[in-house]
Amino acid sequence: MKRRRVLAGLAGAAVSAAGCGAPGRGGSGRPGDPVVLTLLSHYATDPLKSALQRVVDEWNAAHDRVRVRTTAVRFQDLLTTLMVRQAAGQGADIVHPYSLWAGQLAEAGVVRPAPPGDAARIERGFARPAVRAASVHGRIIGYPTEVQPYALYYNKRLLRAAGLAGPPRTWRELEETAYRTARRDRHGNTLVQGFGLSRIDDSTVVNQTLALLASRGGSFLQPDGARSALDSPAGRAVFALERRLIDRGASDPGIDLMKAFPAGRVALAVSGAWWTGSLKQTMGRDYRDVGVAPVPGPAPGNRGTVTTGFLLGVNAKSRHPREAWEFLRWLNDEVAPAGSRAGPAAAVRATRMSVLQMSVGTMTGRTGDMRALLAAGGDPNLGPFVDALDYATPEPNGPRAQKAKALLRKNIEEMWTGRRPPDAAVRNAVRQVDQELSR
Amino acid sequence: MATTVGSADGDGGEAERLGKAGGRGRADGGRADGGRTDGGRTDGGRDVRTAGDRTRPAARRTRYRYRQTAVAYLFLAPSLAFFAVFLLLPLLFAVLLSLSRWAGFDLADLRPAGVDNFTALFARGSSFLTPVLTNTLLYALGTVALALTGAVLVAHCITHLRFQGFWRTLYFLPIVTTVVAVGNVWKYMYEPGGLVNGVLNALGLRSVAFLQDPVTALPSVVVVQAWASLGSAILILTAGLKAIPHVYYEAAELDGAGPFTVFARITLPLLRPSLLFVCVTQFITGLQSFALIIVMTGEGGPGDATNVAALEMYQRAFKYGDWGSASAAALVLFVLILVITSAQLWLFRRKGADA
Repeated sequence: MKRRRVLAGLAGAAVSAAGCGAPGRGGSGRPGDPVVLTLLSHYATDPLKSALQRVVDEWNAAHDRVRVRTTAVRFQDLLTTLMVRQAAGQGADIVHPYSLWAGQLAEAGVVRPAPPGDAARIERGFARPAVRAASVHGRIIGYPTEVQPYALYYNKRLLRAAGLAGPPRTWRELEETAYRTARRDRHGNTLVQGFGLSRIDDSTVVNQTLALLASRGGSFLQPDGARSALDSPAGRAVFALERRLIDRGASDPGIDLMKAFPAGRVALAVSGAWWTGSLKQTMGRDYRDVGVAPVPGPAPGNRGTVTTGFLLGVNAKSRHPREAWEFLRWLNDEVAPAGSRAGPAAAVRATRMSVLQMSVGTMTGRTGDMRALLAAGGDPNLGPFVDALDYATPEPNGPRAQKAKALLRKNIEEMWTGRRPPDAAVRNAVRQVDQELSR
Repeated sequence: MATTVGSADGDGGEAERLGKAGGRGRADGGRADGGRTDGGRTDGGRDVRTAGDRTRPAARRTRYRYRQTAVAYLFLAPSLAFFAVFLLLPLLFAVLLSLSRWAGFDLADLRPAGVDNFTALFARGSSFLTPVLTNTLLYALGTVALALTGAVLVAHCITHLRFQGFWRTLYFLPIVTTVVAVGNVWKYMYEPGGLVNGVLNALGLRSVAFLQDPVTALPSVVVVQAWASLGSAILILTAGLKAIPHVYYEAAELDGAGPFTVFARITLPLLRPSLLFVCVTQFITGLQSFALIIVMTGEGGPGDATNVAALEMYQRAFKYGDWGSASAAALVLFVLILVITSAQLWLFRRKGADA
């Protein structure tokens, strides 16, 4: 223990000497002055940024004693910013991490479990996959503010052109649709991908594969999260399916899916709910060609997918945890007054966060709110995602989850590029992930 | 205190020789078998003499030297303080982290881990040795080979052209362009419908998935890195070429030497100091850089095909919260750079060049 303190002291001295040490903030501290809570999120661009700011302004206008100040960074910089600020003693009071990092943050003592009252509210009010995504070892650590189940996006125009009436419902139909819609020019350049495989980052590469895996009844990790469960018939089948789609020219992971799908050059793709808002903005009128269906299973009616998301938790180092949880309750649990909204949605009883998320084309884990807001004029393409909350499996979020995900991604890409056959890639991923999880 | 030992029992010859050296004021001059100095005396207390009249000038010289040293250190103090704070302290912190487990959030959570981080880097199944370190070496080697060859040829040609300043500026332009811009432009050129594939298609060849195929991904990035670093190499080599006295070329011309002989026998050997500098700096840059890779292939993909040590340690620290193994990887890279740079210096010095 003494040695640990000495080590920590030395390290602290090193960082302080390098100019990184700084105290936390929480208002002026003078009696009578309001408490200032800082909120760090990745809502750095519109429409998310202004949507969050609107609701924070509403809180600040109604509360003199506790004020909230938002800070936002790009999603790619969120974890780094969280780390650096926390190490420098400048962590935000309220943090908004990706649920994948929940275990890592809990283990590092950045976030603590929610107070019993809030935990009970979360348990009651949110869909089970959303609650599990915001929990570590069964303990809820924050409000699941944003959920991202995965579903099948399809281009109605391309399907019609290939003589297909609707989206595929089974894996067999998925493959047939992909082969029938794919087109290449005489030089081998891809004109239309039948099934788009994204390789933008860990999340897109892995989550589309995990969604297909879940649709086949498989999972990435064992229920206790200690070992991989990928070496199963479902795991091998998913890897083989993706490899087949590439070999037969229906998929080309070299093409940026995020650009090709809005350009009408991809017939099918598996992605999260957030993509609807992005596609609507990018595609304009062409968005009417976009449809969403559940991820196909082995047989019609078999359902399964994966879900991820973000949670709002309180920093363990915050000087004002009570006030921070009070704000989070107001934002995530209280029904928004009808006066602040316009149109048919004004009559819907929903929390401020549900209204906020629906206004930017995404969703919270409150199934009731989502269904009511959808019925009041929301994007019908969000319907299959709301339905998916009944059966989706949350992405594993243990302390080594990010690294395990990165290892899986590398093996998937090696399989895509033919460096490893599907079965060998599964075995290698399992060995590497198990080794990482055992550290 | 300058003392000398004239001779010592039993080993007169050696001690006498040492005594002569001691006469030049060496304090260790008396170290010999049976003739150990101890405050100016041998063990036997015999045959000891002080420097006598030489003592005072020698002491003055010593005091003067001390004063000079103190003043020198005083002038050096700001630089030394800078290096201590920004180089030595982080280095020590990295060593501490490499022997610990730390998630990057709270310094109080630092846990000793011994050499576990190092053993994990080289454990069976770990990707650090292959392909990460292998890629790093290939990346640096490829960049240096291409950039150096290209720079020597271009610099040699430029010195024979008119408007040399214009050509130097033209080739220097990539240096003032940001890595993000360079990487993105080349990325678009490499894409299936991009310029490079367009040219291949026009020649009747099939498209190549340059950045998506693990076989071609690393060489494709190496080409861009070499292109981007060509400018600075050309600048240094042009200066080196201008420093070569013209008389050698005149003598070669009189002897009837051809252009290739002149280049191989005069230009290249006399350019060796500049080549050494370019080689060492480019190699170090190649071993450390990863910005271009992030821009062009994301996170070292496809798979680990373009993953290099610097990128790996960045990911381990800032993405996976594994600062211990990231610091261990950083130290391994540090040692690698040290060894390679020393080898380069040794090799060039053997051939008579100095940076």
